[in-house]
Amino acid sequence: MSTGISKDLLTVILAGGRGERLYPLTKSRSKPAVPFGGIYRIIDFTLSNCLNSGLRRIKVLCQYMSHSLDRHLKEGWNVFCRELGEYIDSVTPQQQFSEGWYRGTADALYQNIYLLDQLRPRYVLILSGDHIYRMDYAEMIKFHLEMRAELTVATVQVETSLAANQLGVLQVEPDGRIVDFEEKPALPKPSPFNPDQALVNMGIYIFDTEILVRNVVADAKKDTRHDFGRDIIPAMIPSFRCYAYNFADESGGDILYWRDIGTIENYYQASMDLLSHNPRFNLYDPEWPIRTYMGQYPPAKLIRAEPAPGKKGHLGRARNSIISPGCIIDGAEVSNCVLSPGVHIGPDALVEDSIIMDNTNIGGNCKVRRAVIDKQAKIDPGKTVGYNPEQDSRHFMLSESGLVLIPKGFELS
Amino acid sequence: MKRLLIVDDEGDLRLLYQTEFETEGYRVDTAADAMEALSMFERERYDLIILDIKMPGMDGVEALGKFLGRDNKIPVIINSAFDSYKDNFMSWAADSYVIKSADLSELKQKVKEALGESIYEF
Repeated sequence: MSTGISKDLLTVILAGGRGERLYPLTKSRSKPAVPFGGIYRIIDFTLSNCLNSGLRRIKVLCQYMSHSLDRHLKEGWNVFCRELGEYIDSVTPQQQFSEGWYRGTADALYQNIYLLDQLRPRYVLILSGDHIYRMDYAEMIKFHLEMRAELTVATVQVETSLAANQLGVLQVEPDGRIVDFEEKPALPKPSPFNPDQALVNMGIYIFDTEILVRNVVADAKKDTRHDFGRDIIPAMIPSFRCYAYNFADESGGDILYWRDIGTIENYYQASMDLLSHNPRFNLYDPEWPIRTYMGQYPPAKLIRAEPAPGKKGHLGRARNSIISPGCIIDGAEVSNCVLSPGVHIGPDALVEDSIIMDNTNIGGNCKVRRAVIDKQAKIDPGKTVGYNPEQDSRHFMLSESGLVLIPKGFELS
Repeated sequence: MKRLLIVDDEGDLRLLYQTEFETEGYRVDTAADAMEALSMFERERYDLIILDIKMPGMDGVEALGKFLGRDNKIPVIINSAFDSYKDNFMSWAADSYVIKSADLSELKQKVKEALGESIYEF
């Protein structure tokens, strides 16, 4: 990192969200541990941003169902040298300042004040563990220092309709100083840079540590939601130097890519975004590698089905899809899908517009459309999923747009 | 009548504070260590805690976290002979930090402020 500041900075990743709107993907894992893009978990994108930005002191604050996330961090992210003061540690609630769960994002920091006291960083970078984007945090840190800010909030411009009731909307002066912040307004004020768009909070903050501590301590004693967006930032604007940093997408191009994987629909759309010829979020850029943990799998194979007597078996085919290692497409057709490692699809099956996770088995002659199938599920031969909502809803949850959601380990027989 | 819980391991000081604050019109309980104070806090309702830091066993900084964990609004005043804990981020969660002195006027004033009482007497 060019600013040479990484020793003065602690990165804290908030990974404690329950992710209720991603259910059943969050039935047995926290939101940042949800698989994404075939071989990744959602948190890999934030952690890879850290790695690619030169940040090496990272605490991941977990709480609900943290086992899966913790295991992933141990298996996939044991890459730093603790002897050199580098680490990625997962931290569960220590209950020093509370006897319950984190009450909000700011409370997660409040309850870990002892960590800040022990480590004494000058700056704290706070990130969400459930967003998909590429960002060089070193540039934002440089901005924080140049502006002599006490709080810097990363912002991105989005269509006004996307911000309404969903996101925190900022108003800034030409130099970036924040003058107004509204959390989830019904009528977002337009961005000063583009009247058709709103300038929104990405949930990425750099604080001077002492300012952070003073503000979360003061907030802890109030009846608030203990949330950075809702409570801390609006309270700080009048008396502290709060600046907005404009997100620069390391993917390049004119359109900025930043996705909050909040709902199943967002999750599905962000997954499908990966499938275009020039995806707005590119997994294949050697300049910005995305790290993960993946077990040992043989290469994927697409093969002709075993022929029935007197017949020629069909070819295994895949179009416009991500096929991870260990997958076998045995005389089946796969189209517009994301397949995680070890997925088997049997002869003459047709699987379209779906996300199929690790080691799921779809039998021959199945027809599957617009489904999100979690790990280790088993769909017996000849079954149909995604064609008849009434029939599907007898077995499964359906999303708002009718996606069929099949939980981990489910056997449809 | 407002109730104070005073936590200090020195018996003479406990007696002094108790007498002084009772004279000021408060109802005062005292505890000789943090564990005793925490169990009293479980049983009784207090309006404010005056908390020493250096005590045998659990220190005042740790106890502060536990008091606030049970009631995030309880006013706590740290009353310590040392100023070295002022830099400790955990101590910032207290309403104020008073250095022990033979003159109790600062402590009394901080108690009034924390309880939202007028600091002027007519």
